[in-house]
Amino acid sequence: MWQSRSGSENTISTTTSGETYLDLLLGSEARADLVRLFHANPGIMDTADGIGRRIGLVAPAIKPDLEELANAGLLDKKKFGTHEVFFLNHQKDEEMKNSIATYLQNVKPTG
Amino acid sequence: MLMGGFLEKDAVMLAGSAGAGKTTIALQYLVSGIRDYEEPGVYVTFEQLPDQIYRDAKNFGWDLPKMEEENKLRVICTSPDLLFTTEDGESILDLPIGDIHPKRIVIDSLSHISMYAGEKNMRLETYRLISWLKMHDLSSLLLWETSNMVGQVSSISDSGLSFLVDSIVLLKPVEIDSTIRKALVILKLRGSDHDKRLREYEITSRGVDVAAPFADYEGIMTGSARKVVKLEQATQNFTEAFSRKRR
Repeated sequence: MWQSRSGSENTISTTTSGETYLDLLLGSEARADLVRLFHANPGIMDTADGIGRRIGLVAPAIKPDLEELANAGLLDKKKFGTHEVFFLNHQKDEEMKNSIATYLQNVKPTG
Repeated sequence: MLMGGFLEKDAVMLAGSAGAGKTTIALQYLVSGIRDYEEPGVYVTFEQLPDQIYRDAKNFGWDLPKMEEENKLRVICTSPDLLFTTEDGESILDLPIGDIHPKRIVIDSLSHISMYAGEKNMRLETYRLISWLKMHDLSSLLLWETSNMVGQVSSISDSGLSFLVDSIVLLKPVEIDSTIRKALVILKLRGSDHDKRLREYEITSRGVDVAAPFADYEGIMTGSARKVVKLEQATQNFTEAFSRKRR
């Protein structure tokens, strides 16, 4: 397992439900694309501009979603000189995946 | 070829054109370090995404995600300008280095760094990078893309970087008898003797295999390889031709 890194303060508690995570991820297509990108490439450590370049977008198009994911704790954010770098918080990412899996297992079909 | 291997903490330039096998050799360098010498490694890529590298490595039987889970490897994807250290002395590489304490590192590639540093600053920034890597006790493999795929070798010294690195390994596709074959040569190995012959190498299902020297050809590096005929064979050929004519 990846060693934990220093995380930013986040608004989602450690017992966040899978439903809350799904609301966060599915609230925006760009956000879902970003999570998919970081899951497939956990070693990405880059600015908004660099990350955007890798999914064919410019920084202003994804910056708000990156900030949202950082606020939720799924991404960490650190300044190197004048550059703000985003990277995956592996611990939080594992917790998210487990929470979503648990939530989906317990969802009862209606009707 | 290396009389025992690269020296510890050396900066080695691995130069070659697109498709020569630089990434494969670089991955093999790290995987071998992990498997055979218990030396963790870091692969820094600026263009290829990690999932492409994972996929390519899998073809050779190298499970890179598993090595990352075991904290023996990190595949970092970032932008070249983030590699330049900041005014407060911090580097983006501090994070993976603090994580797994690697002994080996691959930078893929110096060519990408040159796009950000510019021709004027490239030598200075490369010197700074190599110094930083050595200060952190890292043995480094620095990839460099040469422009000519076939034909004459572009002088690596044109880049001005050949003086900064401790070793230079050149990979070159060569045309011999209407077939493209791959040639490898050690151009420089500071502080040690080395094999100076051109050798053929192949990319197999297990990675890169270095084969025998090109003993039967000369002028390979010029792009116009010529078959070498030994004196005895040449004499025999002449004698046979002369005998046939007389009949």
